[in-house]
Amino acid sequence: MGNFINKIMSKTVTRRNFIAASAAGTTALGLAGCGSNSLNLLNDAKIVDLEKEGEWIAAACWHNCGGRCVNKALVVDGVVVRQKTDDNHEDSPDYPQQRGCLRGRSQRQQVFGADRLKYPMKRKHWEPGGGNKELRGKDEWERISWDEALDYIANELKRVKNEYGNRSILHIGGWSSRITDISSTLGLFGGYCEYWNTNSFGSWAMAPKLYGFMQQGIWDQTVNDRFDLRNCDTIIMLSMNPAWSAMGSASWHYLQAKKAGAKFIGIDPFYNESFSLLEAEWIPVRPSTDVALLLAIAYVLITKDEPVLNPLIDWDFLHRCTVGFDAEHMPEGVDPNGNFKDYVLGTFDGFPKTPEWASEICGVSSLQIEKLALEFGKNRKVAFLCGMASARSKNSDNLPQLIMTIGAMTGHMGKSGHMTGSTMHATSGNGGPALVCAGSNGLPAIPNPVDDSINAGEVWNAVLEGKYNFTGSGDFTSEDQYKAGEIRDIDINVIYHSGGATLQTSDGMAKGIEAHRKVDLVVSHSQFLTTNSKYADIVLPVITEWEKFGGFDGGTLVHSSNREIIITYSQITEPLYEAKSDQWIAVELAKKLGLDPKKAFPFDEKQQYFNELASITVIDEDGKTYGPLVTISQDDIKELGVTGQPQNGKITYKEFKENGVYQVKRYQGDNYGYIAYEDFVKDPQQNPLDTESGKLEIYSRNLADTINAMGFSKIEPIPTYIKVIDGYEDTYKDWATKEKGEFPYQLINPHYLRRSHSVFDNVKWLQEAWANPVFLNPKDAKENGIAKGDTVLITSQYGKILRNASLTELLRPGVIALPHGSWADVDEKTGIDHGGADNILSGQTPTGQGVSGFNTVIVRIEKYNGARLISDVEKPSKIVL
Amino acid sequence: MGALGFYFDMQACIGCRTCQIACKDKNNLPIGVLFREIKKFETGVFPKSNSYNISYSCNHCEEAKCVKGCPTGAMHYGADGTVQHDPDLCIGCQYCIMNCPYSVPQLLPERNIIGKCDSCIDLRNAGQNPACVDACLMRCLHFGDLDELRKEYGEELVNALPILPSPDITKPSLLISPKTCALESSFTELEV
Repeated sequence: MGNFINKIMSKTVTRRNFIAASAAGTTALGLAGCGSNSLNLLNDAKIVDLEKEGEWIAAACWHNCGGRCVNKALVVDGVVVRQKTDDNHEDSPDYPQQRGCLRGRSQRQQVFGADRLKYPMKRKHWEPGGGNKELRGKDEWERISWDEALDYIANELKRVKNEYGNRSILHIGGWSSRITDISSTLGLFGGYCEYWNTNSFGSWAMAPKLYGFMQQGIWDQTVNDRFDLRNCDTIIMLSMNPAWSAMGSASWHYLQAKKAGAKFIGIDPFYNESFSLLEAEWIPVRPSTDVALLLAIAYVLITKDEPVLNPLIDWDFLHRCTVGFDAEHMPEGVDPNGNFKDYVLGTFDGFPKTPEWASEICGVSSLQIEKLALEFGKNRKVAFLCGMASARSKNSDNLPQLIMTIGAMTGHMGKSGHMTGSTMHATSGNGGPALVCAGSNGLPAIPNPVDDSINAGEVWNAVLEGKYNFTGSGDFTSEDQYKAGEIRDIDINVIYHSGGATLQTSDGMAKGIEAHRKVDLVVSHSQFLTTNSKYADIVLPVITEWEKFGGFDGGTLVHSSNREIIITYSQITEPLYEAKSDQWIAVELAKKLGLDPKKAFPFDEKQQYFNELASITVIDEDGKTYGPLVTISQDDIKELGVTGQPQNGKITYKEFKENGVYQVKRYQGDNYGYIAYEDFVKDPQQNPLDTESGKLEIYSRNLADTINAMGFSKIEPIPTYIKVIDGYEDTYKDWATKEKGEFPYQLINPHYLRRSHSVFDNVKWLQEAWANPVFLNPKDAKENGIAKGDTVLITSQYGKILRNASLTELLRPGVIALPHGSWADVDEKTGIDHGGADNILSGQTPTGQGVSGFNTVIVRIEKYNGARLISDVEKPSKIVL
Repeated sequence: MGALGFYFDMQACIGCRTCQIACKDKNNLPIGVLFREIKKFETGVFPKSNSYNISYSCNHCEEAKCVKGCPTGAMHYGADGTVQHDPDLCIGCQYCIMNCPYSVPQLLPERNIIGKCDSCIDLRNAGQNPACVDACLMRCLHFGDLDELRKEYGEELVNALPILPSPDITKPSLLISPKTCALESSFTELEV
């Protein structure tokens, strides 16, 4: 950092140079605070002149945002003065530029933010053993050296290991404990207790694989390629809003389907931006009640189906491709009366799942349910596309299976214009195998010798109470994570956050803060004073991707990129202040622990980069064979200073690096199209699915056995209605008499464009653009004496938050929409969170396959009596040291 | 040849504010100053409610009141007919802010002068598009000769909407492809 400052200060300060430097540099230099003093370039330094002086460098945009796009930074004398996005080729709907969103275009505001952590820090009253633990989150910070920081951590890890064993070290690395560089160091150290979470996948995390509702071995691949969306008559969207949660080209692709004539129907409590864009007919369902709605749709399909006059059900499909629909198609050895059709009709339980029944729960009128059911009819080309938001609900384990059942009943699978399944994030509306496949850095996998793994839904309780339900280990993508449950004692003494924003983004943050105040040591790696770091003892400043030599994003589909691209990026700036890479920390900590870091990191980060570069593969124009992507010369290898062999690919290293992306050129009729389940549906006998029966299992013994053995909550082998904990029924004190309870409103957490989950929430440009109110229907607001703009106190049984009200008729009455991911800012006097963090309101209640119930929260609302909340953009940045 | 101005396809806009941020980045604007802004409006009552967005900036009006009322000539027509602003002539009197019915000119507080969208004239002179145009994820912003834009995007385009001041005041160089609900006379602005 010193060099950076000197460079700017020692420059010949012409007016233009000064302004150019200030433009990007002031925030980094701490001169600009929240950026309000930044100077305006207009008519002073013309951007086009700067373009001549500087260089556009492909810049990382690496977040878990729902997109994956090209980002470029204009660097003049080491200072970033402007950003842009993909302009590598002409733009068209078939072959779109990979344009980045508002968050990526604010990246320089984040990287050079005045609130970047500058030095390793220690909480003033921490000492080995914990010191005054209650002061976590409110203590002062002290600057310490890297040597001191690593000594503190190493010594405390050794002490805790000796006294309590490795399993008392809870290591959290984001969505998996096994994926960060510290995982390797702690693995060599003897292991750690893992944290696992179903994350964004909710009840899609494990279950679909068991009953055949997964293709290509990963999520979102039961949906056809984006070009095939344009062949649909009707696109029914359940619980999805790509316009707010899948940036990049997803919304544009859906718009092409609309332009090609598709009619859209949107099922969600919010008439969201995507529905508005696509002029969708709105089915305003209550949160966590999709199962009731879809059971009633099944009821209408069954009772209204007339094979000749009004064919709704594809009986041939059900017969050939599924088990469990009716008594004639049940697996051997089970009671045929337990079939789905008889359950829906109420043949044996005397309780038909009629639209009238469903309407009372889901809030959609029985007439609208009947009409919606007919839209699914087998003779239309229908895409039934589902986000995973409504599966991030408690007791929702049968929901994906029921979605599959509706798709199977109506035959909307395996053919052009027909598709059913989940679709979200970077792959939204664009199924099919990756056309470019990511490479590997070649580092060895260091196993974790400890098998403990605590589910997010009970992790904080486990820290506080010393018990948890062990269901295997790995993470949510691993089969080994979903084993029969076993109650274990656990005594967590260290919490080590090496990545992610887990305290912020796990259910039950209020309990989480308590848990952080219990243990002996909390370590956190971060770039800002995030919620993880705020409640930590030792905070280690890490660099951003802009400060690394380079890297890649994409090529693995799930949450990585769309199937057509791989992104590459290069270094934009030297590491800021004293920030170090996670790997540097992992290596240095290993040394302090007396371990040999070479076992985990046998070669340096540049060699890792090269290994990854050289092993990227791309599909050939035949649509079948894959070969190396990048042409690498002996000169490239020499220049990089790495060990490797030259190779031939489709793009030179130089061009790839300059473009920042490789994109497969798509056109109508190319060889890259994809129809999910095509072979299976044509011939299920020859192309069986990876299930017990080889078919789609509407009755899945394996599902019920697996989930019931885990021990969080019970389900049936067929999709049935299960009363949801903290769901709509729980908003009543007495469901029968309809007397409302203490928490009469349901609260949901829509993804929000100010940030990517919690990342970017501190960026002032984005705070200005997206104010982060709480959304209320005017009727609910009025009933509680709340006017537009009033500060609202929202209370659940777990916590209290404040947000200012935005009143909207686009939200169904009875539902509160609180944007997801806002950083907690708890007032220690009142315990009220002024930041509006969603998980302050959620509780620790894992259900089914360990699902996090982010969207099953019940609350009460009232006008806040204290001072009105100032807008987030007016709050000072959290600058420490 | 017609006047130069922006075309906005409201029917494709998702209100993401990428254009706003691209503009902020290109012009390096402080908090509180926006040369391009997006607003969201809603119509109707649950469950018959609907919404639309507008991305707006300087309309480079043919009869710009900001130009007419500027006492120093800082606000002026450039050679291509767009409305430009010369900071060296600006005395920060803010008459333009008062005169513009679209509330486009903004005071740059640290410099006590005015700033506004110059349609990225520097980029355009170098053969590029305005930053907002190339940033748009939904490809709903374009800049150019209005006659040409009309030819390309249809004669149905408007420059008048219930949410906007009457175009008679300044003759804005603006073309919008409106959503049907944006033509409703009753609307509410929605903070998102």
